[in-house]
Amino acid sequence: MISEIDTYAGLSSPIHRWDPRLKVISILALIFSIMLLYDLKLVIASMLFAIILVYISRIPFSFIAGRLKWVFLFVLPFLIILPFTVIGEGVVIAHFGSITLNFRGIESVEFAVMIVIKALTSVMLIFPMIGTSRMDITIKALEDLHLPNKLVQMLAFTYRYIFVLSNEFMLMERSLTSRGFKRGSNLYTITTLSKAIATLFVMSYEQAERVFYAMRSKGYSGKVTTMHEFTLRPQDWLCTVVVCGFAIFIQVAVWYGTLEGT
Amino acid sequence: MVHISDGILAPWLWVSGWVITAAILTYTLNKMKIDDVPKLSVITAAVFVASLIHFQAGPTSVHLVLCGFAGVTLGILAYPCIFIALVMQAFLFLHGGVTTIGINTVNMGVPALISFFIFKAGMKLNIGISKKEILFGAIAGGIAVALAVLLLAVELLVTGEELTEVTTVVVLAHIPVILVEAIFTGVIVGFFATVKPEMLSIKKRL
Repeated sequence: MISEIDTYAGLSSPIHRWDPRLKVISILALIFSIMLLYDLKLVIASMLFAIILVYISRIPFSFIAGRLKWVFLFVLPFLIILPFTVIGEGVVIAHFGSITLNFRGIESVEFAVMIVIKALTSVMLIFPMIGTSRMDITIKALEDLHLPNKLVQMLAFTYRYIFVLSNEFMLMERSLTSRGFKRGSNLYTITTLSKAIATLFVMSYEQAERVFYAMRSKGYSGKVTTMHEFTLRPQDWLCTVVVCGFAIFIQVAVWYGTLEGT
Repeated sequence: MVHISDGILAPWLWVSGWVITAAILTYTLNKMKIDDVPKLSVITAAVFVASLIHFQAGPTSVHLVLCGFAGVTLGILAYPCIFIALVMQAFLFLHGGVTTIGINTVNMGVPALISFFIFKAGMKLNIGISKKEILFGAIAGGIAVALAVLLLAVELLVTGEELTEVTTVVVLAHIPVILVEAIFTGVIVGFFATVKPEMLSIKKRL
């Protein structure tokens, strides 16, 4: 049902060898910088940069494309609705009964395309960021970055439990189906599924209690302990400079653009 | 689908979303003990998994939002849980956006807090029916989603006039969700009241 994002963490590439702490920070900075852009050319340049990063990280494009498909479906309405809706002036294209189809001009198309590209780019960048280190190493890196400890702990636990619980829910669904349950659009479906989910909650709550006592008795104190130690090498800084440099470059380019525009 | 992707909202909106989320998170995390972590995480994971389940509602397929449910079971700690669930969705399963995690947490977390207060106030009322949990669970669940959609709609409209039609589509698409969610929360809260009352926030703090 859910595939893990760190499936390809075992590969070897400059991005894989990049220190996870610097990797997370640099790529996050890049994502935020791209989201602040409102210039189609720079957005396209950023997308190319993201594609290069993915290419270097050697994560198969087919793996990424499978995820991008869903993001694309989510932003597709913007691409379809935005350029053709009626506000202010527009060029009338066609009449369908009482509905008039208007074309609002090339600016609207550019705006819609920009929204779609930005959404896709940010998703693409997540793969080199999270997909190139094992999840427990990334979580250790987050702790090293002094994120609130409770949040880091919750992330680590929730991540593990999601797979456990989704398996459990699949079992439950199978037993519902084997008893002849079919999903439809009626009250019966909703109440039955609600009760199945409620059972899942109660089961997982009790399981969490047991797991917590077991962890306590083995000395859990709320700190991440792994055998992995982080060391910073010159290559780490080189990657950081390149990625952060690009993040700063696009902002500078926007700034110059507005200067020339006025 | 209440979460917004990257790149749609105006920057000042998602930046202020982060500010509000940071403030509420700091407050709620202070209220939380490290011992709560494992239990809260399991419920967060369960909320996450349940939100992947799709219901057939008339012509469209809807998935649960569960912010009302989180509020009713977790109380104010629902806020960090929703935050974590959204971080998971953005980074690991790539739904929603990265820069919009802050504003999305506001959209779902604030209604969760409100639904918690509605539920708490409702349970104090004496209206003489035996299963108050079902009634107020349903009310809290429905109102939470309605509020979440309302917040989203306002944000889209504030971003730009050109998003009016998109907003209409989004709001219309969520009307069945509000109904399904109300029934769902009512049933599940009634179930907890009989089977495991300590899972409801008002009976005991987690």
